[in-house]
Amino acid sequence: MLLELRGVSKRFGGLQAVTGLSMTVAPRTIHGLIGPNGAGKSTVFNLLTGVLPLSSGEIVFKGARVSGLRPSEICRRGIARTFQATTLFRESTVLDNVLIASHLHAAKAFVPTLIGTAAYRDKERSVCTGAQGLLVSLGLADVADQRAGNLPHREPLAGLTAQESADTMAVLRALRAEGKTILLVEHDMRAVMGLCDVITVLDHGVRIAEGTPRDIQANPAVIEAYLGAEESRA
Amino acid sequence: MPRRPGLSPALGFGLLAVAGVAVPVLTRDSYYLDVATTMLMNLVLTLSLRFEMSTGQLNMAHISFMGIGAYASALLVTRAGWSFWASLVVALLVAALVAVPVGRIALRVSGPYYFLITFAFLEVLRLFFNNSFVDYLGGPSGLVEIPRPHPLPLSGGAIGFTGKLPQYWLMYVLCLVAAAVLIRLEYSRFGLVASAIRQRDLLAETLGVDVIRYKLGVFVLGSFFAGLAGVFFAHSHQVLHSSDFGLEPMVLLVVFTVIGGAQSVWGPVVGTLVLSVTSELLRELHHYEILVYGAVLMVVMLVFPEGLVSLPGRIARALDRRRGSKARAVGARVAP
Repeated sequence: MLLELRGVSKRFGGLQAVTGLSMTVAPRTIHGLIGPNGAGKSTVFNLLTGVLPLSSGEIVFKGARVSGLRPSEICRRGIARTFQATTLFRESTVLDNVLIASHLHAAKAFVPTLIGTAAYRDKERSVCTGAQGLLVSLGLADVADQRAGNLPHREPLAGLTAQESADTMAVLRALRAEGKTILLVEHDMRAVMGLCDVITVLDHGVRIAEGTPRDIQANPAVIEAYLGAEESRA
Repeated sequence: MPRRPGLSPALGFGLLAVAGVAVPVLTRDSYYLDVATTMLMNLVLTLSLRFEMSTGQLNMAHISFMGIGAYASALLVTRAGWSFWASLVVALLVAALVAVPVGRIALRVSGPYYFLITFAFLEVLRLFFNNSFVDYLGGPSGLVEIPRPHPLPLSGGAIGFTGKLPQYWLMYVLCLVAAAVLIRLEYSRFGLVASAIRQRDLLAETLGVDVIRYKLGVFVLGSFFAGLAGVFFAHSHQVLHSSDFGLEPMVLLVVFTVIGGAQSVWGPVVGTLVLSVTSELLRELHHYEILVYGAVLMVVMLVFPEGLVSLPGRIARALDRRRGSKARAVGARVAP
């Protein structure tokens, strides 16, 4: 397994955000992480990338423990993340955004392939559309992690048009074909079901299901988490 | 790697170097040389202050490290009998060395908290200079009788530094060295990462930048150059007083830097030049100097927050817009 979470918990004061979460991510897959609002998906991302410290449990990446390391060190080990598309170096040009990431990893040759043509690479980030911003954001994470690692990716499709959404999905698939592993948080269920090889479902910080998209769609616990149980409605 | 169109680093540095040579060519008047020497010393301070600001942190204790360099060199020369040239090197290293633990503590926080911690350090150190080890540091009456820089022994003689002119040249060389290093860094990977940290430190961190260690490196190097200015200050003024390293001169450095434009490496150059000249012209108003600076600072922040260096670009854009609207007007007439 490429990435393994073992009994990971996170508590914020009185709030138990994630409880004893164990899951594994296989290499070269797109692994979906879904769940209703407040299920703890963002917290898992922050734990995974070292932005937040774990309350208990451990995270193992490529056979070595990464929980407890600084985010920069975790990135160097091969886990890069994207934030939402609006999180970029806003005053820098698109090219500079990617250069910042590439300079840190001496992978300059790659730069423009993912973010596309030179047409908008010199623009200030603020004039990018959501989709362009997102692709840049993906580019940053990809450049930061040239060594076939893991790309946790957060809500890439929020606020995109249908066409932009389709383009983005194509990029994610291309990354998988390149040998990357992607952990995806996304609310667009059709996209999740279409893209992911495996899906893990969280509710109130607990894993309630894991399996292929088909399994997940049929799982009563998942349906209950999203729609509420039938009994409670009656 | 120039990040935005504008002054190229080589051209900017060349202009600075030529302007520096021009001063003694144009005048040998000791008053003007004095003003120019102080300007170059302030330039080292503002360039290094801006260098630290490029990661998004305003270090209010910057001038304290100038003080550490100054007192260290004065003591090494007067008490330990060192040569100025040896103490120049060692005093800088002392300033940089003290910066390591101070930076480690202060950089645990950022934003206003960092500002307050460094401000507290500024005051603590000023009081230390004023009240502690009075026998060594001179106490409230100051540390006096610091010798001029010793003659620099060279093959076939020595260069003396008692006159205004050789002192100017000494400061000129020190300033060029500092400017070369700091400008070069701005246009390197270093500057790119600094800008990334300033804009979004969390994103930089998750892209692999060890933000704390990076900020510490910047802090230590900035303090090193502040110490450089301090050593020169000690031996050219020959008297040190704790108030030389207090809040008021620190605020002046911030004003120079911000009015020039803290976003650009050229901001401190422009700010220091313009404001030093202005301050000499307004000498009659000496008591109101800070008042005037305060007012100018407010106006600059309101009208062009990116500082004086942003003016040419703003004017060019305004002209472009006017030309553009004229072109559109012509087009409108041609269009059906």
